[in-house]
Amino acid sequence: MRLIILIFFYIIFSISLVHSQEALKVNNIEAKELYEELRCLVCQNQSLLDSDAPLALDLKKLVLDKLEEGSSKEEIKEFLVERYGEFILLKPTFTIKNILLWTAPFIFVLFGFFLTFLFLRKKTSQKEETSILSEVEKEKLKKILNRDILE
Amino acid sequence: MRKIYLYLPLLFFFILVIFFARQLILDKDPSKLPSVLLDKSFPSVKLNQLDSYKLFNKENLLFIGEPSLVNIWSSWCAPCQIEHEFLMKMSDEHNIKIFGINYKDDKTDAINVLKLNGNPFYAIGRDEDGTQAINLGVYGVPETFIIDASGKIRYKHVGPILEYDMNDIILPILNKIKRE
Repeated sequence: MRLIILIFFYIIFSISLVHSQEALKVNNIEAKELYEELRCLVCQNQSLLDSDAPLALDLKKLVLDKLEEGSSKEEIKEFLVERYGEFILLKPTFTIKNILLWTAPFIFVLFGFFLTFLFLRKKTSQKEETSILSEVEKEKLKKILNRDILE
Repeated sequence: MRKIYLYLPLLFFFILVIFFARQLILDKDPSKLPSVLLDKSFPSVKLNQLDSYKLFNKENLLFIGEPSLVNIWSSWCAPCQIEHEFLMKMSDEHNIKIFGINYKDDKTDAINVLKLNGNPFYAIGRDEDGTQAINLGVYGVPETFIIDASGKIRYKHVGPILEYDMNDIILPILNKIKRE
């Protein structure tokens, strides 16, 4: 009896395994990757994968059709950028036009380091100035201290 | 003056204020995309005939040889119903030829709208599955393209054309293109 149950479950699970593998054909993996990289233009901060807007469904179908026709991911992206602009890509391209967008965070960090450096250097140099007294100052200080004690 | 760098955050703040103020004053909705197809030739479209209305294709768009509008609409789209009145005005009073793309619509619903509210379109075509609209970079109805006499896209209006859109944007651009 136990064996029969085991065999029964084995068959059930292997069927579902085969099905899930079928669902993850090469095209579908590529399509899913593309859906994640493309913006839904109706709900603009969602990817196509997240979106159920009618236009997103149409675009998903278009992506699948194009993949089936044999277009590469890059070709499909190009096709959509030609029509909707670079805005449709959730990750902006690394081009001269976008160079500031990519490098600005690093520029700001460097600028921050620079300011910190300036600030710290100023502080240490000030400390040195105050700790070293000239001969005249030493005399004055001595006089003051002595008087304080006398009083 | 020695501590000039202490004023940098303030300076930075004012630069940000300028950026934000610019967005506020220009009153530009960043969710509205400019067309990438601007100054490019209107792509050829494969549309289906709607009843006995004249079919819109690239040939008759080029044939009229004057600035015109291409309007993407649908009977199920409420803003399209609002803008319909102004499309009628432009075609009747200003003699502008408007080409219609009926987007993912039911045939009888579309015909009913034209029969009830009048037909502003010189020629019209059906885009049943929305693929032609994707080809044009359309992401929501209604959208309106301004096409010049040589068939180039000169402007894209996203959303309904209301009275002030018509008077302040669409008609001035059309007049400007006409004078060229």
